[in-house]
Amino acid sequence: MGIRRWSRVSRLVEVSDLASCREGLTRERSAWPIRVTLSGGTCGEASGSTGVLKALTTQLHKDGLAEKVHVRVTGCQGFCQEEPLLIVEPLDVLYCNVKSEDVSEIVRESLVNGRVVERLCFVDGASGRTVQRPADLPFFAKQDRELIGHNQSIDPCDIGDYIANGGYSALAHVLTSMSPEAVIEEIRASGLRGRGGGGYPTARKWEQCREASGQERYVICNADEGDPGAYMDRGLLEGNPHSILEGMMIGAYAIGSNQGYVYVRNEYPLAVAHTREAIEQAWDLGLLGERILGTDFSFDVKVARGAGAFVCGESTALMASLEGQVGEPRSKDIHTVERGYLDRPTALNNVETWANVPRIISNGSAWFAGKGTDQSKGTKIFALTGHVKNTGLVEVEMGTTLREIIFDIGGGPQNGKQIKAVQTGGPSGGCLPAALFALPVDYEALSAAGSMMGSGGMVVMDDSACMVDVARYFLKFLKDESCGKCVPCRVGTDRMLEILADFAEGRGTMEQLDTLKDLAWAVGAGSLCALGKTAPNPVLSTLRYFHDEYEAHIRDRRCPAGVCRALARYVIDPDLCADCGQCVEACPHGAILEADVYQIDQTLCEQCGLCAETCVVGAISRV
Amino acid sequence: MARTVTITVDGATIQTAEGSSVLDAALEAGICIPNLCHMPSVSPIGACRVCIVEVVDDGRRKMTASCTLGARDGMVVEAHSETVLRARRHIVELIVAEAPNSRAVQDLAARVGVTRSRYPMRDKHCVLCGRCVRVCDEVWQSKSLGFVGRGGDRHVALPFDKRPDLCKRCNSCVEVCPMTITPCPGPMAVPGICGLCESQTSMVENIPDTCVMCELGRGFQCARWQLRGLLAPA
Repeated sequence: MGIRRWSRVSRLVEVSDLASCREGLTRERSAWPIRVTLSGGTCGEASGSTGVLKALTTQLHKDGLAEKVHVRVTGCQGFCQEEPLLIVEPLDVLYCNVKSEDVSEIVRESLVNGRVVERLCFVDGASGRTVQRPADLPFFAKQDRELIGHNQSIDPCDIGDYIANGGYSALAHVLTSMSPEAVIEEIRASGLRGRGGGGYPTARKWEQCREASGQERYVICNADEGDPGAYMDRGLLEGNPHSILEGMMIGAYAIGSNQGYVYVRNEYPLAVAHTREAIEQAWDLGLLGERILGTDFSFDVKVARGAGAFVCGESTALMASLEGQVGEPRSKDIHTVERGYLDRPTALNNVETWANVPRIISNGSAWFAGKGTDQSKGTKIFALTGHVKNTGLVEVEMGTTLREIIFDIGGGPQNGKQIKAVQTGGPSGGCLPAALFALPVDYEALSAAGSMMGSGGMVVMDDSACMVDVARYFLKFLKDESCGKCVPCRVGTDRMLEILADFAEGRGTMEQLDTLKDLAWAVGAGSLCALGKTAPNPVLSTLRYFHDEYEAHIRDRRCPAGVCRALARYVIDPDLCADCGQCVEACPHGAILEADVYQIDQTLCEQCGLCAETCVVGAISRV
Repeated sequence: MARTVTITVDGATIQTAEGSSVLDAALEAGICIPNLCHMPSVSPIGACRVCIVEVVDDGRRKMTASCTLGARDGMVVEAHSETVLRARRHIVELIVAEAPNSRAVQDLAARVGVTRSRYPMRDKHCVLCGRCVRVCDEVWQSKSLGFVGRGGDRHVALPFDKRPDLCKRCNSCVEVCPMTITPCPGPMAVPGICGLCESQTSMVENIPDTCVMCELGRGFQCARWQLRGLLAPA
């Protein structure tokens, strides 16, 4: 793939080699007089970072600066909507939305003359102020970027960067001075809980796995992130794969495992490539393999690619898929920590959970437990998307309120609209209304409100969103992604969708609403795996908080947000109408009648809205 | 000799071999937990969810299928609590609306007290219980049938839609299929479920929790009929 950006250093055979290796790497890195950091994750590449990099390299060679300027390509830094981001050090300035045309100016002004190119700096929409330093970005200021913040200083394809930033010191510490039990105890004291959504205490999982009988044990990193609008795991795996590998190694040492798997979806090509590269570089350095750092601990990691089934994010389905079986969940009456992959004890954790492990060991459990709420500790990354000004990866301390995330970090609504709801926890989460934005992000608080932490998707919706339509959208996703094995999930989601379609298309009855409530409960109660058990959440939470919208759809045959097409009606205001006749030509259904005044025949109208778009005087409106 | 464990189902203490499923143990003891995809002698998959029960552990109740639930010593199970009955009825209602013309499904509905379905009927001919797939794979080691597709596209099919040489034409798949048991002229024409099937349970108001050797079991090879050696000849 040509992504190796690392020159081999000699193999680390002893623990002390790591410190001397780090010293050399740090010296090498601080020797560069000028450093340029370009974010090149999936979001960066999609916004043209590859072209910028090419232009930058060419320009540097042309100007004879190639020997003086160190260019580092990193993963996603979090501020996805302004990608590609370019940071120049020691000038300490951040440029947003950089294009290849801007490169020559940046090189001339910032790299040679040490001046800031103001027009490329971020302009804060709220205050109108130009922000130069990356640390001053209002988007970053309110965050606690413990995990994602490191992406900025690490080239994912250069293990040297990770080591220079203190990487693998937690592993060295664990291997030399901690017993496996002590590691589990440390994780327990930190209060770390599963970041995949369930929130199961990580230490308890590890302990159960360690105590389960079996010769061979496995650790698995679940990177099968499939929620629409969620990409936290991709950001971490692309930007800092070694932190996950190190976490897995520490976990494997604690559990007594020698083999790990990273199950990553194939739709994340960069994450797959970076993880593979990271594993290869760790092998080269002797951080993976037999007798790591001269200790008795041996470990290997393999990358397994998922073929794009959402249900394979469920632990038992993931393990079935890993075994080469059809990715379908099985009953979890016997937990995977006892009988998981190949029926052997398996500890499966989410990407973010693994990434937290080395930081807990390095900084101590008290440091981690000091962050967050009573039951939820540490920080959590959310993928903030939807109708807010700033979108991207947001890492906040647990206990931060939804309002702070949406308004202070996200910058509030776009175009002066009102924010109506936020969907947390992906498709299986729930829609929380604006009235509940004082809720802290905390496993228990979100579940009590009818949503869930989930893996961290956060879709903000303003008043242009119809909640029946939103529920329908998420349910459609879950129906399509259901494996189809058990009846409540396969048939139940289909029937729920059928009822929602009736509502959205003006055929709904109040009896159906009762059936829907009853069915939503039964699907949640009776389904086999977590996908089915949480599938009714979008329906249940919208029913709970936006009951009036459902009633408007059923009783008044009206969609308050004007989203459901079948319920919309277009009318021509004869007072405003200029009699130009353009709407007649625009209508593909021949629904506009030319009489004394122009009129829309509602029986022929298909509610496409083309007439309203065509009308120059704005006489056609949707009611 | 397998170790014996003691479990409690609906208040009755049952001794059963360790590792056997709660469903088998209950059926053996005469407690009827209605079921559809379960079949003696093949492995359970927990697909139909009709046999769901509540496991009471330390005051916490967890709903799970009893066919895939291994009996553990001291386990307390409620197979006929209000919650379980409500969920089970709704699941059967979903199944009935998928395949209203199967007598096995109609009997099942009668057994759990479902007399009508609130959903528009679809005649799907298959409820994906997987009995055929498992009998072919596990009893005859033939693997001539399998599930294809995901979600709504899931269906039972031959490999590449061609009968493989491995198929011995034993017809077991047809025999165990709940859709092939004495096809009914069909309540599709009648609104709701006719309830005129042979099942005695459809005649009573309060459906018994215990086995009454109902016609459902006879027609549908209920484990209990098999245990008694009373299975109706095919």
